[in-house]
Amino acid sequence: MAPKLHLQIDDRSGVPVYRQMMDQFIYYVAGGTLRPGDQIPSIRELAAALGVNPTTVVKAYTELERAGFVEKRHGKGAFIAANAQALTTAEQEDALRRAAKQLAVEATQLHMSTPKVIDVVREELGALSNDRAADEAPVKFAVMNGGR
Amino acid sequence: MGPAIHARRLRKTFRTGAVAVNGFDLQVLPGEVYGLIGRNGAGKTTALKLLMGLLRPDAGEVRVLGRSLWDAPRGHRQRVAYVSQGQQVPDWMSLTDLGRYTGHFYENWDSALLKEHAVRWELPMDVPIARLSGGNQRLAALALAMASRPEVLLLDEPAAGLDPIARRELNSCLIDVLLRGDGCTILLSTHLLGDLERLATQVGIMDHGRIVAEGAVEDWQRTMRRVQVVFAEEEAPRDFTIPGALKSQTLGPVVTALARIADDAQLAGVRALPGVRVNVFTLTLEELFVDWFREPSAERPEDRQVDPSQPGFPARAAS
Repeated sequence: MAPKLHLQIDDRSGVPVYRQMMDQFIYYVAGGTLRPGDQIPSIRELAAALGVNPTTVVKAYTELERAGFVEKRHGKGAFIAANAQALTTAEQEDALRRAAKQLAVEATQLHMSTPKVIDVVREELGALSNDRAADEAPVKFAVMNGGR
Repeated sequence: MGPAIHARRLRKTFRTGAVAVNGFDLQVLPGEVYGLIGRNGAGKTTALKLLMGLLRPDAGEVRVLGRSLWDAPRGHRQRVAYVSQGQQVPDWMSLTDLGRYTGHFYENWDSALLKEHAVRWELPMDVPIARLSGGNQRLAALALAMASRPEVLLLDEPAAGLDPIARRELNSCLIDVLLRGDGCTILLSTHLLGDLERLATQVGIMDHGRIVAEGAVEDWQRTMRRVQVVFAEEEAPRDFTIPGALKSQTLGPVVTALARIADDAQLAGVRALPGVRVNVFTLTLEELFVDWFREPSAERPEDRQVDPSQPGFPARAAS
């Protein structure tokens, strides 16, 4: 049985919609919500639920397949690939690096010193790990009510 | 397969002498969703009317599904539906009456689909259109357009005047049209650029009667950036340009450009300049649009084009 997914598209992020979808699937795999062998929604289903052009969903799925996260089974749909979890480590670092880059830009504009930036990051990490339920890794998008 | 919509060097001048459309080129492939964006008065509505055959061009060629709608037989025109900004439907009739009346003229009329949209959008079927709210009148016009099961759908600001919920419904209805899988082509003009990020495959920016830039939405999102270069000196060097800049502006030591950055390596040379700070920002379509139309000299688009092949191009003419 496929887990319930809450995908969310942000029109204001400037990130291509297919990339946003890809990232969220990868987050779900990284967080363990999606496991190898899980079926992912059909193109129709996802396009209708998110209100996005079906060709964009096709693009996201094709890219996920190309990257090895997803495999298509003829006539059955698309599934999370067996070795998807191994791939997420590199993706996680990429995602972190993108976020860090953004942080670096903003810190520079605010003329913050490097030690100060590192302090702030450390504090925020600390605050999160206190809040977090010990048994559950946070999945970035699961908290949002995407779709309809 | 040829393009679903084809226009070449279209020109339309009104009796007042106003040139509404001039040098308008457009190709929309079957199944594409093309978003036409532009300032008010850019000529979007006139362009759509020319495509729909409601206006006759002074010059140029226009074909929808292979021929001009101006003189196409009814059977051909039926394959195309158009919803204008101030859609005039006979408003003493109810949706039921209108469906019956309009349905007479269309071979593929789908009265079940009309009903489905009426239910979904909570449109009363048996009340004169005139008694509906402005937003509901628009939705009624759209429901009628959809019921003809068009192969090409031309929409002039379909979401104008709709509340956010109705807008969302409209979008999901357009997605349904796309999911139907018989290859409907949609051309819509809009100011709601957030909706386009989800819906459109192609976007064209219209200015002064023609399309001045166009591209695939995801390609723009991936490559169009706002790049800011800050020099340590009081003034940026006069001959400096940001590689890939489409529009550029210099204020003292800060050069800001709307640039196409296919690869960050493109900026390596700039980053290597001593004492220079480089910031790169992603852009939403809306931000891109605003950057595109940012001053100076909004009247003359040619002036604002930066040709990257000309290194000495002054980012901003002394004004």
